Amino acid sequence: MSWANFLQLTVSGLAMGAIYTLTAKGLFIAHLATNRLNFAQGDFLMIAALLTLALRGLGIPVPVVIVAVVLILGFAGWGLERIFIRPLDRLGFRGGGEYSWILTTAGAGLVIQNVAELVWGKSAQYSPPLFSGRNEPVRFLGAGVYPEQLAVIAVSVLVVAAFYWFLFRTRWGKSIYAVAFNPDAAVLLGIDVRRMVVLVFALASMLAGISGVLAGPIVSVFPQMGLVFTVKGLAVAAVGGFNNPAAILFGGVLFGLAESFSNYLNSEFGDLLPLLFVLALLIVRPTGIAGGRKAAAR
Amino acid sequence: MIEVRDVSASIGPIRILSGVSLAAARGRFVTVIGANGAGKTTLLRTISNLLTPSSGRVTFDGKDTRGIAPHRLARTGLVHVPQGRQIVPALSVEDNLMLGASNIRGLARGDIREAIEREYARFPVLRARAGIAGGNLSGGEQQMLAISRAVLMKPKALLLDEPSLGLAPQLVALILKALREMADAGVAVILVEQLAMMSLSIADDAYVLRQGRIVLSGPAADLRGNASVVESYLT
Repeated sequence: MSWANFLQLTVSGLAMGAIYTLTAKGLFIAHLATNRLNFAQGDFLMIAALLTLALRGLGIPVPVVIVAVVLILGFAGWGLERIFIRPLDRLGFRGGGEYSWILTTAGAGLVIQNVAELVWGKSAQYSPPLFSGRNEPVRFLGAGVYPEQLAVIAVSVLVVAAFYWFLFRTRWGKSIYAVAFNPDAAVLLGIDVRRMVVLVFALASMLAGISGVLAGPIVSVFPQMGLVFTVKGLAVAAVGGFNNPAAILFGGVLFGLAESFSNYLNSEFGDLLPLLFVLALLIVRPTGIAGGRKAAAR
Repeated sequence: MIEVRDVSASIGPIRILSGVSLAAARGRFVTVIGANGAGKTTLLRTISNLLTPSSGRVTFDGKDTRGIAPHRLARTGLVHVPQGRQIVPALSVEDNLMLGASNIRGLARGDIREAIEREYARFPVLRARAGIAGGNLSGGEQQMLAISRAVLMKPKALLLDEPSLGLAPQLVALILKALREMADAGVAVILVEQLAMMSLSIADDAYVLRQGRIVLSGPAADLRGNASVVESYLT
């Protein structure tokens, strides 16, 4: 493998890894506070990518599009909690027991997929770059890389930093940890637990939205693309044991790199190898790479 | 400040409280003693509205609490320190302290800072451990933190569920002293305990709870003089 090849694969691996990380962070935060996951997370990503394309098609400037899409996804997260999760909690066992949210959120994903298909059709679309003028490689450390991929990495770093700041520095982030630990005890501290739950689902969906906006220009966009992202997001979150944001970041980057290189070595089964890798890891360490250490490791 | 009138409560099909009445006025230190399973925790959960009573009513600060969300009650000064202290293990001591106070309206940052310094003066070990994760504290340190966290919420009424659990006697004395100070400063304190004599020695009024009913009540000093009767209810 040449140096140029190596660098290209690393950059595109990091870019995809960044997107998986953001998707997995969304799964993580909702799971932290509620022990629930959104099995439509990838479909939320897909709808964000398609919405971005559609809004840009109307000639709306990129920054406005990004803000609008992320806000719309935030509302979608709120709706998901209200319609597909909270009523089940209220019903308890009459609602099908403790895990019925798996079916309802996955069902929400199917509905979104089919609506997207009706609106935009089944075929793949290609999004123009968001940050760079033309989608042409530039010289970078002696290799040609796509500026869009570099931009995705940079923006993801900023988003992850903002996410950390929110989780560990703000009152709301700390309240999320209190809710995660014990909802009843959180209530007694004056925390509005229901509002926190809505907040985490809105946040989780906004992260899916950001992932979708960023992914659009570097992958092909079509209504069925979501499931793959859900599966990979879950895999990455599992590497981090669903409870350790730093391990999720590590897992996401590693997953992206593994995928990029395994696709280069074997284009037929390239996507499969990283998933097998995660499976093998979970057999050895079912609690993820950070083990049970959720409090100490940040 | 707190009045419980003829309250009954059930958990699922099981009745836990039957017609319990008690009162804690401003500045009074009230203790409720009873054996394991007498309904002490359920009583506190009913007062703070984590559990809705099946009949009877609870008033706080002159208002019926029915239908008021428990987090709103907490924000208006009905502060409940649950059993097991419930310190958030992932957050530092100082973050734990801020958790409650930051939800109280009208508390400025400066006021909170000042109040935290007062709590550090009361329990110096908390200052020494300010940056340490709550999960790494000892049981006694966690209980001090739980009390300080409650004090920072500017309570009008303070409910405590067995703060002595698992603590060394001199620590229990330290905690009780802090609670007495709260009461003397005008807070209505309701302390639920298994350690009968210790609580009776510090409280103003006392109630004995047995199988969900109040079987004995009166000034704490009187009950203390009647130790054998009290003990007979605690088995």
